[in-house]
Amino acid sequence: MSIFTDPKLGLIPGAFHKKLEEQNRAQNWYDWAGFAAPGVLDSVEFEYFALRNQASLFDISPMHKYRLIGPDTTAMLNRLVTRDVRKISVGRVGYVVWCDEEGMVIDDGTVFHLGDNNWRLCCQEQMLTWLLDAAWGFDVSVVDETHSVAGLSLQGPTSYAILEAAGFDVSKLKPFDLAQIDHNLMISRTGFTYDLGYELWCDWDKAEALWDRIWKGGEHQGLRAIGYEAVNLARIEAGFLTAGVDFQPVHGTERLHRGQTPFELGLGRLVDFNKGHFNGRRELLSKRESPRSLLMRFDVEGFKPSQGSLIYNRRKKEVGHITSGIWSPTAKRNIALAHVRMPDASRSSGLKAEIYTLQEGKWRTRMARLTPVTKAFFTPPRARATPPART
Amino acid sequence: MSQFDAIIIGGGVNGLIAGTLLGRRGKNVCIIEKSNRFGGMASYSVDGGPTLAHSLYNLSPRVLSDIGIDPQHPVLSGKPVSTVSLSEDGRHIVFKNEGVFWSEGAKHPESDAWTDLTQQLITYGGLLRQLAEAPPPGGQKAILSRGGLNEFLRLAKLGIGLKKLGKPEMRRFLQVVLSNVHDIVLDDLPEGSVAGMLAADAIWGSATGPRSPGTVFNLIYRLGHGGNITQPAGGMSALTDLMVEAAQKAGCVLMPETEVFRILLDDDTVSGVATNDGRTISTPIVLSNLAPKLTSLMTGHSIFDIETTRQFRNIRARGTAAKVNLRLKDSSPLPGLPDELADERLIYAPSVGYVEAAFNPAKYRQMSKAPVIEAFKMQTADGASWLSTIVQYAPSDLEGGWTETAKEQLAEITVETLSRALPGLGDQIAGKQVITPDQIESATGAPGGHWHHAEMSLDQLLTLRPANGMSRYSMGPKGLFQCGAATHPGGDVMGLAGRNAALAALEAQP
Repeated sequence: MSIFTDPKLGLIPGAFHKKLEEQNRAQNWYDWAGFAAPGVLDSVEFEYFALRNQASLFDISPMHKYRLIGPDTTAMLNRLVTRDVRKISVGRVGYVVWCDEEGMVIDDGTVFHLGDNNWRLCCQEQMLTWLLDAAWGFDVSVVDETHSVAGLSLQGPTSYAILEAAGFDVSKLKPFDLAQIDHNLMISRTGFTYDLGYELWCDWDKAEALWDRIWKGGEHQGLRAIGYEAVNLARIEAGFLTAGVDFQPVHGTERLHRGQTPFELGLGRLVDFNKGHFNGRRELLSKRESPRSLLMRFDVEGFKPSQGSLIYNRRKKEVGHITSGIWSPTAKRNIALAHVRMPDASRSSGLKAEIYTLQEGKWRTRMARLTPVTKAFFTPPRARATPPART
Repeated sequence: MSQFDAIIIGGGVNGLIAGTLLGRRGKNVCIIEKSNRFGGMASYSVDGGPTLAHSLYNLSPRVLSDIGIDPQHPVLSGKPVSTVSLSEDGRHIVFKNEGVFWSEGAKHPESDAWTDLTQQLITYGGLLRQLAEAPPPGGQKAILSRGGLNEFLRLAKLGIGLKKLGKPEMRRFLQVVLSNVHDIVLDDLPEGSVAGMLAADAIWGSATGPRSPGTVFNLIYRLGHGGNITQPAGGMSALTDLMVEAAQKAGCVLMPETEVFRILLDDDTVSGVATNDGRTISTPIVLSNLAPKLTSLMTGHSIFDIETTRQFRNIRARGTAAKVNLRLKDSSPLPGLPDELADERLIYAPSVGYVEAAFNPAKYRQMSKAPVIEAFKMQTADGASWLSTIVQYAPSDLEGGWTETAKEQLAEITVETLSRALPGLGDQIAGKQVITPDQIESATGAPGGHWHHAEMSLDQLLTLRPANGMSRYSMGPKGLFQCGAATHPGGDVMGLAGRNAALAALEAQP
């Protein structure tokens, strides 16, 4: 279900395009769901360290956003996703995955419980037809808000101070809380970085004004606009998954058996078998105990990023590959997310990644030992403190 | 609160058969029927008129033996009926097992070609029947399990059967089986009444014309049990009475005039049904003789996967056949028809092109102004004489709806069309009864009033019947099965859908 950019149309400008264009020295635009999105605005190092040490502003408007309203919305969502959304109260946000009838993950995303039977679903893949199918027989209206709601992700240790300086009181927001600031602005304490951070949601045509207001608030807080490359480093440190990279959204696959169950992606905690029927439940019940592979976190020996490397076991048989691998500037570790086939994933000792390096025209390979890690690579306490620190 | 081993919802032919089979295998079964009479579409009639179905050609002997009905039972041992293609010039054509004849007795010049083609299709029907007598292939059973081995052997038997035909015949089989009846018939026969008869037999009850792909398959399906047409002694309701008797003998409890409004579930497993009169009946197995979408109304659709609901609401079922019953003034012979043909099956389908042209208006939600008709002269229990006709095409979704005027128009068209070959028929008619597809739907629940609950087209057959992923009778929660005509192999008062479903339920929950 990927989006193909219409060649005649080219990349279209997003909600904050003017603002981003002003700062885009690198002119590094990439295609995010048809929108021109910055990969890097200045340099990835500046941007990454702003995110971790000061504050960063990243345009998330190209995310697909769907509003689900109607008396049956909670029931409809509960049939769609694997976790029990009844446990997400009004004013809270939840991370969810949803599966096809075979229990393979279609996509992951966040649901915003805006009011009674009033939800917003944000995700990476286009989902309108699936949601319309899911809503059949329920009294729910599905509205695609992708082009009417703009999103801005403000992340980093000084993000709270910036909002305060911009005149927004979000001191009471705990992680995964949301607050309707006015009829045009909603702020949620969420993000893709596992750091202190907020996401701001407003009408598309009010986007630039919002940017200016935040920008002004960040004058003395080291605020920097950033592109996706820096966000990607942070999300790997947090151990978050990216659709199409760390798992294959099953509706976008053409080959057989490329889909993965939530259990295989380490998201078993999001599957609630006790809430009644949900899509794929019957298959997931039988597949729960028999994952074909596991998504694992590894410490990689050495310092060369391991992205795309194949993984071998002790007997030098290929048993998986690294889906995301970077040198983590904050954790000061070489880290990776990887798929490893069973049963090697459960033994997981003696695994090595075959990393190819190119140094001034010379290709070399090195076999780097992989050490499994269970927790995220970087989880600063400031991310969860309430009220948040100002610096 | 009563308790059963299995409950059948819908006492039509397939429901009765499924219940009887389960009963004979030691299950304590209850068959629940909404109306006051069992037999469903087969025996549905209005004001004592002729029933919807008026002849048998596909009733499976295997089903009869499974439910303990003697195939030689007096009700079933009616004399085979010949088909008469009515002609405007009065030279009707009679199709018998021995060949094709003019009504005055001489052999028709196309007789041999017709016999050869029909025999060929009957042979193919025999081969495919093995597929009909079991759940569709492709279950995920281990090949070495008993079920897996059976399935493998069945497919092997089909393969060997095909091989045995010889190379040219096998090639021919593969060439024709997915083809359209227009092309195949006109390869061997000149355009005319003989070819028209085959074209008509390929389209009864379906929303297709002779040029539609897959119509040869429909014809083979119809000829699957040899192609003999009989009328049960005492009419269709005698046959359904016989089935009711068999069900009672097997220990089934029959509950007429009871409507199930909810199938109860407990932890994704069937636990019972709730009826409109406030009763709760517990059971671990429910077989629903209704189309999948109607079944989902009883469970709530949210217990099915999204893909499943998408599939069952896209099942194509557009009824195109109406029943027009013409009440005759007396039992005197029909005008223009020799006495010895009085009780035969009459059809009006003068050519393949005529049948195709009759289909055209139905594509645009109109009734045929020159329809294809099948008619039987019969007497109902009260001694009244009727001409019971099936009129094709009269689409369920007629533009403007089936108003009294539209129904009257259809009856007039029917009489007019038949009068071309039977001049003076109009003077013999004392009353008319029109049963349109939408009326069939509201009376029996069959979607679109369709004979098979789901169009018998290539995309809705075998493992794709009624839809991909729903072909093995079980549906959604544990203990819920479908047993109606929408499942493999389909309807036609054949009974195999009900039988296969019962066997599938036994296999899943012995």
